[in-house]
Amino acid sequence: MPQLVKVRPTKIELIKLRRRLFLAERIQKIVKDRLSILTLEFLQIARETVEAKRKLINNFSELYRALSIAAGYHGYIALEKELIASERDLEIAAGSRNIAGTRIPTFELKEAERGIRGYNLVDTSSWFDQTAQLSEKCLEAIVVMAELQSSLELLGREINRTKRIVNALEYLVIPGLQATIKYLKMKFEERDREEKSRLKRVKVLLEQR
Amino acid sequence: MINELPYERLLQECLRGELRLLNAYLPRQQKLLSDLLREEYPHVVCTDGSTHLFKRKELKYLASLINDDEQEALLLPMLIGVSSGQGEMAIICRGEVEEKVISKILDMPVTPKQQRIMIYKPQLSILRQMLKTTTQYLFSPKIIE
Repeated sequence: MPQLVKVRPTKIELIKLRRRLFLAERIQKIVKDRLSILTLEFLQIARETVEAKRKLINNFSELYRALSIAAGYHGYIALEKELIASERDLEIAAGSRNIAGTRIPTFELKEAERGIRGYNLVDTSSWFDQTAQLSEKCLEAIVVMAELQSSLELLGREINRTKRIVNALEYLVIPGLQATIKYLKMKFEERDREEKSRLKRVKVLLEQR
Repeated sequence: MINELPYERLLQECLRGELRLLNAYLPRQQKLLSDLLREEYPHVVCTDGSTHLFKRKELKYLASLINDDEQEALLLPMLIGVSSGQGEMAIICRGEVEEKVISKILDMPVTPKQQRIMIYKPQLSILRQMLKTTTQYLFSPKIIE
C-alpha cells in the first residue's frame, strides 16, 4: 500500500502534486536510461576482464617457461646480472574517464624505446630476448587488468546505487504521489457532492417557507 | 508539504545529485584528432572541471581509419545521445568524417539524418569496445525538459 503524502486538501496542492509526479516520472526515465547504460558497460567490461585474465595467465605461463629455459642456458648468476642491468622505470599515463556519471580510472603504459633493454646483447642468447619480450607483454596485460578490475568494481557499486534510486522512485515515490492525487480527487468529489446535497436541502427549506 | 516525509528529503537530494551528475562530465570543448595526436597527454576538460584522458592507442586507431585531412575535421570525444526509453542511440555528427569512422568500425553503411547517426544497442557495444575514451554519452535535454 503506497504511503500518502501529507498535504492540505486544496486545489493548489493538487496542482503541485501533479507537477511533482510529472517530474518524478521524467527523472525515473532518465535514471532508468542511466542504469541501462551502466549495465551495458558493466557487461562489456566483465567480458573484457575474463578475456584479459585469460591472456594474463597465458602470458605468465609462457614467460615462466621462457625464463626457466633462459636460466638453464645462462645460469642463475649470469641471468641475475643481466636482469639487474635491464631494470628500468615504467611510465604509466593515468587519468580518468566517465561513463554516464561514473568516474573510472584509465591507465596506459607508455611505449618504451624498442630495442633498448639495457642488457648486454653479446653475452645473452635469443632465449633472454624472448623472456624480455614476454615480460613486457605481461606488464601491458597487468596494466590492462588493473584498469578493467577497478572499472568493474566502480561500475558495480554505481549500478547498485542507481538501482536503489530507480526502485525508490518506482515503488515508493511515484505510487505515493499517485495515491495522494487520487485521494485528493476523491476528497474534492466528496466536497462537491456535499455541496450539492446542501444546496438541495437549502432549496427544500426555502420552498417550505 | 512533501518534505515532511522522512525519506523525502534524502530522496530529493539523491535525485538532485543524479541530475547534476548526468551531463557534468561532458567536454567544455571538443578537440580535433590531429591536435590530440600532437599532445603528450591527450585530454579534454569537462564542464565539472575534471579532465577526460584519451588513450593514445585509440587515437592512433582512429587516425588509421581516416586520412590526414579528415583528421583535421574529426572532433573528439564523439557524443552518443541517449534517448529515453528507446532502444536506439544517436551519434551526433557534424560532417562526413564521423559517418566514415562509424561505418568502418561497424563494418556497415550508416546514413546520418539531421546530423545524427542512429545505432542500436548491439552496435553501441561494438563501438564502445573499440572507442572507450573517444566516445561519451550525452543525455539529451529533450528528456529533461
